[in-house]
Amino acid sequence: MIRFENVTKVYDQKARPALDSVNLEIDRGEFAFLVGASGSGKSTFLRLVLKEDRATSGAVYVAGQNVANISSWRVPRLRRGIGVVFQDFRLLPQKNVFANVAFAMQVIGKSRSIIRDTVPEVLKTVGLEGKEHRMPHELSGGEQQRVAIARAVVNRPGILLADEPTGNLDPTTSMGIMGVLDKINQNGTTVVMATHDDDIVNEMRKRVVELRNGIVIRDEARALYTSMMPVVGQSRRFKDASGRPDGSAADPGDGPVSSQPGEEL
Amino acid sequence: MRLAFILSEIGSGLRRNLSMVVSVILVTFVSLTFVGAAGMLQLQINQMKGYWYDKVQVAIFLCGDGSTAAGCATGTATPEQQENLRTLLESPAVAQYINDFQFESKDDAYKHFKEQFSNSPIVDSVTPDQLPASFRINMKDPEKYQIISETFSSQPGVETVIDQRQVLERLFSVMNAASLVAVIIAGVMIVCAILLIATTIRLSAFSRRRETGIMRLVGASKTVIQLPFILEGVIAAVIGAALASGTLWAVAHFFLGEYMSKQYPDTAFISPAQTLILAPALLGLGATLAGISSLLTLRRYLRV
Ligand SMILES: Nc1ncnc2c1ncn2[C@@H]1O[C@H](COP(=O)(O)OP(=O)(O)O)[C@@H](O)[C@H]1O
Ligand SMILES: [Mg+2]
Repeated sequence: MIRFENVTKVYDQKARPALDSVNLEIDRGEFAFLVGASGSGKSTFLRLVLKEDRATSGAVYVAGQNVANISSWRVPRLRRGIGVVFQDFRLLPQKNVFANVAFAMQVIGKSRSIIRDTVPEVLKTVGLEGKEHRMPHELSGGEQQRVAIARAVVNRPGILLADEPTGNLDPTTSMGIMGVLDKINQNGTTVVMATHDDDIVNEMRKRVVELRNGIVIRDEARALYTSMMPVVGQSRRFKDASGRPDGSAADPGDGPVSSQPGEEL
Repeated sequence: MRLAFILSEIGSGLRRNLSMVVSVILVTFVSLTFVGAAGMLQLQINQMKGYWYDKVQVAIFLCGDGSTAAGCATGTATPEQQENLRTLLESPAVAQYINDFQFESKDDAYKHFKEQFSNSPIVDSVTPDQLPASFRINMKDPEKYQIISETFSSQPGVETVIDQRQVLERLFSVMNAASLVAVIIAGVMIVCAILLIATTIRLSAFSRRRETGIMRLVGASKTVIQLPFILEGVIAAVIGAALASGTLWAVAHFFLGEYMSKQYPDTAFISPAQTLILAPALLGLGATLAGISSLLTLRRYLRV
């Protein structure tokens, strides 16, 4: 679903690269954590998937397509297949919960009746039934993040990217959010979550990709936040260039990003 | 759905930036009024030129009923006198200075008069009898007017010989200078309008960066993201252009039609309806200005 081939990203010629020769493949339906200290390149990774930035070298594939070959007027279509959630929620303060979620459908031209049917359904998925008419400032941080998740997945993207979604939340609330993300993943959406919250990673026991200074130093399935195996990261990286934890074959059908391809527009 | 969405975005944008929008309206209004004033002066010059101005330079008016000139002792010019004048015009001595000439009968004169003064009350009180017949001469060299004048002034049946250019040229050069000044002022004001529209769009894009950021992320098309901003500028500019068109119409109706045409009944003025041919040009110019300046601004300030 997402494949990085030797991707390097340099923002500033004088500084070290934000990402340095990253090779990584994330399969359809997978749940992967991107961990590492602040500045290790997690957000940069996510931005490259969205084509918010272009890789300095190497190739980024999303749903089998090299994003470098997507012309600017087709970038919106790429982004419709990818939901994004941030640490700071980014809700529209003057719109209520329903309108915030509906906004994501309005701007891509969904009809009013589809919006009326879909939004409550998605709000139910994230556990916000009955709160349609609340304003963002009337919600707790956890609830606001649920609204943001609802907005990210309301158009049924095949991929959900989350950049430290629990960064502003207390541990209990964070676990609630993880439950929502897990549920969305169970429904078939590929989830990539950047975080440096070790409790969450240890609790979830999902695939963990660890970055340090832009280099993938570890890639393990069902892993913990800190590796049990010293120096294993570096050695694995050279043993398995695809960066895949188990070395299995690539996802054969790299179809469209959307989990419901027929639903476009 | 998308259209409704774009419209509601435009509405909220206009409301949020009301004071900026009002200043865009006023600046385009003033600048386009100057553009329109230049256009109106040109229309007025055309109106005053009448039927003959661009075709001939010299007119030989024949005696009419009430003529008192020396050559009109016998009253209205007779057909023989007309024939003599024509022969004289065709004689080599005179013909060498002339490209060609035309005869304007009393009826022709009445027709042309009615066209030129269609907007003036005077047209109803004039009959063909009151208008003199004339020979209209297109000179090879308009500077040689004196020769024609000396040859024909004393001919029987000729009331007067007039060099039309001399009468109107000075007035026209003043009016042309005035249009030039109007165009220059308009040019400066248009630069102001473009800069102001650019600033407005920039502010508008800044105040809505949250929305546009989310729109980008959920995959809204460039059109849906940018169109509300562009249309905001275009709508403000078009309102300004409409106000300018209305002002020109009012000037033609109240100032020229009600006041000037009574003060100067023998001058032909443009009608209010004629100023309306300037309106589409002004509306188009306003919309184009706003469209171009907002496109250029958005390219820099609104990432898509
Ligand atoms: N827009 C940018 N311009 C310049 N440098 C940047 C930019 N974004 C990130 N960086 C640099 O790239 C490195 C990786 O940043 P980032 O991907 O944000 O890391 P993380 O999300 O893991 O904290 C950091 O050194 C950061 O300073
Ligand atoms: Mg980050």
